Amino acid sequence: MEDLMGYAGDIFNPYLQEWKDDGGRIVGYACVATPREFLDAAGILPYRIRALGNPDKELADAYLARFNCSFCRACLQLGLDGSYDFLDGLVETNGCDHLRGMFENWQYVKQLDFFHYLHVPHLMTEEALEFFAEELELYREAISGYFDADVSDASLREMMQRNNRVRGKMRELFSLREKKHPGLTGTEALAALLLESSLPPAIFEEYLDGLLAVNRDREVSGYRARLLLAGSASDELGLVKEIEDVGGLVVTDALCYGTRAFWALPELEGDPIHAMAEAYLKNLYCARMFDDYPNRLAFVMDAALRAEVDGAVLVYNKFCDLHGVENVSLRKDLEKEGIPVLVLEKEYGAGADIGRIRTRVQAFLERIGG
Amino acid sequence: MADKVENQIPGLFDRAYGLFALVKTLPDDMSDAEVEGLFHVLPGDLRSTLASILHRRHRRAGMHFLKMIATWLEEAMGARQRGQKLLLGTFNYLPEFIHAFRGAVLLTSEVVTTLGVVSLEGQGERYWDYAMGLGIPDFLCSANTIALGSVLTGSDIIPDGIVQTAPGACDANSKIHEFVAREYGIPQFFIEKPNYADRRGREQYQRNFEACVKQLEDFIGEKLDEERLREVLESANRCTELYYELWDLRKLVPCPVPNIFSLFTFATRFTMWGREEGVRLLSTMVDTVKEIMEKGDYVAEERARTIWTYLPYFFDFSGFYNWLEEQGIVYMTDVLMACFPNIIDTTDMDSMLRGLAESAWNMPMTRQMGGDSMMVRWLDDIVFCVNDLGANAAIYCGHHSCKQTWSVVAAVRNEIQKRAGVPTLCLQGDSWIRRMTPISVLQEEISSFVDNVVARKPRGARRKAE
Repeated sequence: MEDLMGYAGDIFNPYLQEWKDDGGRIVGYACVATPREFLDAAGILPYRIRALGNPDKELADAYLARFNCSFCRACLQLGLDGSYDFLDGLVETNGCDHLRGMFENWQYVKQLDFFHYLHVPHLMTEEALEFFAEELELYREAISGYFDADVSDASLREMMQRNNRVRGKMRELFSLREKKHPGLTGTEALAALLLESSLPPAIFEEYLDGLLAVNRDREVSGYRARLLLAGSASDELGLVKEIEDVGGLVVTDALCYGTRAFWALPELEGDPIHAMAEAYLKNLYCARMFDDYPNRLAFVMDAALRAEVDGAVLVYNKFCDLHGVENVSLRKDLEKEGIPVLVLEKEYGAGADIGRIRTRVQAFLERIGG
Repeated sequence: MADKVENQIPGLFDRAYGLFALVKTLPDDMSDAEVEGLFHVLPGDLRSTLASILHRRHRRAGMHFLKMIATWLEEAMGARQRGQKLLLGTFNYLPEFIHAFRGAVLLTSEVVTTLGVVSLEGQGERYWDYAMGLGIPDFLCSANTIALGSVLTGSDIIPDGIVQTAPGACDANSKIHEFVAREYGIPQFFIEKPNYADRRGREQYQRNFEACVKQLEDFIGEKLDEERLREVLESANRCTELYYELWDLRKLVPCPVPNIFSLFTFATRFTMWGREEGVRLLSTMVDTVKEIMEKGDYVAEERARTIWTYLPYFFDFSGFYNWLEEQGIVYMTDVLMACFPNIIDTTDMDSMLRGLAESAWNMPMTRQMGGDSMMVRWLDDIVFCVNDLGANAAIYCGHHSCKQTWSVVAAVRNEIQKRAGVPTLCLQGDSWIRRMTPISVLQEEISSFVDNVVARKPRGARRKAE
């Protein structure tokens, strides 16, 4: 099979073109709290919005402000400059204030015919779970109504089954990084994740099988330290590569463009709506949730212990309130457990900033003896 | 982290309480000479604040405001001694709900910050800096981070619990409160608002509100008493009536309502709504406005009637409220005032809880930013204010931490022009930290806007052609 890794750095790829040419529809979403199974069940290709380090923001800045997260500004830029015109609709979630702003402005300018707002509760309580299940029911109605598709319980179950299988394989792939002798780099793992949400499922699964086969017995060498990467939304292949180029191998992560996107597997028994509500809400591990820090910390600690990391890099984009504050606590708690931490505030896709980031990572590696 | 600095930095709350405690010893009717004498013994920032609050046109209301706040602080200070739970809340939390508990007192972090900023030497900067020293990002909201920075020093009053309605409406606000809760192991009590204004959203909100009532009853160890709740809500209803009386007076041209009365109004909403002190202040404000009308006691010819689309600036009352008035610029309202309180039916417990949930739904920021669309809910309120109050300009203060408003302000500005026919000035600054954008720079920008854009146009909002 063709090596698809090169497409991880592209917004659009020939497989999407083929999908569209065959009459297929593609709907964009940004947040891991969006259950893709509903779109899958409707025969729609779910596409996770990304900016891939895009440094341009001039169109977006006419709507979002300099005080908004540069990742959301970069995504909006691509939404406004036509890069995402292949999308047949968008699913908004209330991930954070910046993300809401991105979606609202996108819709304000583009006026997409299909634009659904999926409200995700901020608390994990029984009432919230019930409410989220109702939300998913409305989400199903919106999709089936607009796209004239039958999103039955049976088809949802089928998609859950398929996606669990793919998630399981993704876990296996990402676990290759965590081995004593890692079989994969962090850059490669992120690339695989980006492909997972930008390729037709069958194509990706076949490619994933190939990746697993090739990397199972591989050993990555030449690194100085094993790192955990956590923090705000980060789809920047270039950033991970920079960290790895100076010797910090990203052997595990707790990112939403990373393990948080697939680590949990929805229960396949019972009512699929409730099963998905529970799976997606309980396993969000995102700083947007309240009263849930111990679970988030446990998720990060588990990853750090599994991968036997030498240190952790906690990144956040400037103006990210959620992770900016969360990282203060995480730093304290990880250091308490003997894991050295580098907190890296950055602008998204800022090439001019890369020298500073390299220097800080290098200094961190020296500090931890890497 | 707190133990390292204990006793090295006196707490903001303690310091502000010390100053405001003195206010209670002052007479209600102070003469010009007495006020002048008082100013001679006060430090610069506090003198400037009191010059604004105790301006001769509205001195009696100003004194009632100061005494109301002094009582509010005193109650928080003595809560533990009286065996009450001290709850720290966000400004969009309903104070009347907590007043209904005998065993609890609510302290609002944004109000504490504001009191510190306007009364203390060095304003709130040392507490902000302390929080930055812990690694808290510099783009967080000073409205919370100053008061909570003081709590984090370990030498200030530490609450027993945190009551929150900010998640979903402001990340910065909700995260710093959560951080403090985590640092001190304090429980948090949330009322989450679904981002839907339809029946389903409201029913869910009602359930969330009632769940919070139960949680607080357990925490405080007291069942909400129907009679006491009724008593509080009857006072709250009186506050509501006075609020709308003041609102209607704002519509008059020239506007007889002093600019700083907006601050007095929302400060009451966030502290003593549902209490006799709140009723007394709002009544005095109404009386004062009527006196101003009778005497024709206007400061300057009215040149601009401005809606402040989100917040005002708090770090220099004289340089802001008084200066605007001297320039003939009316501060008609802001989002903090745009809570549109409702008269609550006090027939029985159910009707009162329904009314409280409705009020909570409409608290500022919850109502707009917690809406199904931040852009649409916020815009609707601004357009309503412009049309109802006859404003001819809008100003966005650009508090740098308000990411949710920053994320839609460009579109909202366009739509205000289209729907209400008024221009919007977008400023940039921090509402509680003077060193971000000094008041002189803000004054200059406002002057340019009013001189070149607003005052040159015919009075009154231009409506979009049908």
